[in-house]
Amino acid sequence: MTASLFHDQVIAILPKLRVQALALTRNRTAAEDLVQDAVCNALAAQQSFIPGTNFGAWMHRILRNRFISDLRKKRETTDIDDAPQSMLAVAARHDDRLALMELDAALARLPDDQREALVLGVLEGMSYQELADMSGCAVGTAKSRVFRARRQLEAWLTGEESVSEAAGRKKSGRVHTNAAKTIGAARPESSSMNAAVV
Amino acid sequence: MGKSMDGAPPRKGRQSRDQAFDVWLKRGLHQLFDDVVNEPVPEELLKLIEEDRSKQD
Repeated sequence: MTASLFHDQVIAILPKLRVQALALTRNRTAAEDLVQDAVCNALAAQQSFIPGTNFGAWMHRILRNRFISDLRKKRETTDIDDAPQSMLAVAARHDDRLALMELDAALARLPDDQREALVLGVLEGMSYQELADMSGCAVGTAKSRVFRARRQLEAWLTGEESVSEAAGRKKSGRVHTNAAKTIGAARPESSSMNAAVV
Repeated sequence: MGKSMDGAPPRKGRQSRDQAFDVWLKRGLHQLFDDVVNEPVPEELLKLIEEDRSKQD
């Protein structure tokens, strides 16, 4: 692969890297920093990329590894951030905004690997194979991450409770906020979920 | 037995609810992420890439 083609590919994949970075960090500024750091790492390691192999998976893996490495350094979890503000800037109806905020909060509660797999799968159309290549796991694991993330979100946002959630609550006595209560109140008959189907 | 209260087979109801949730989820994720994705790439980052390209050429 020529150096020029390599750099063209880096530029072309930047939007997808942003999605992945935001899914992982939940913070716009941190996501921008993560993309930049990942690009720096990729440029430094460009000789190690084997032409003919999956460039996207290689690049996503670098970003993912960088995120994990940064997390270990900081020894702290990421936090919910300015995403709700960006959502509020969207010209959506009031009830839609509330539902979006619920979705955003629910996403933040998912494990990083599940959130990343779900967002890249749904938004970027990445296949289970691509997700597996990116994160260095088995295809079955990638599939399971997407499935569990989706099922958990549905359970939280529709007021159902997943088996693991119920078990966890029994053990810890933890009380979760009921996301569905807010969404239900915000979306009476013309709920955004119903509206989306019509 | 085997039917939900409104008379529809339960599996079908579950399926359509899942589909509705999938549509809603996709739309929600787009609303949360699209504005970030559509922002212009920072000049600094592009410069970094172009500088490296010049070095390699």
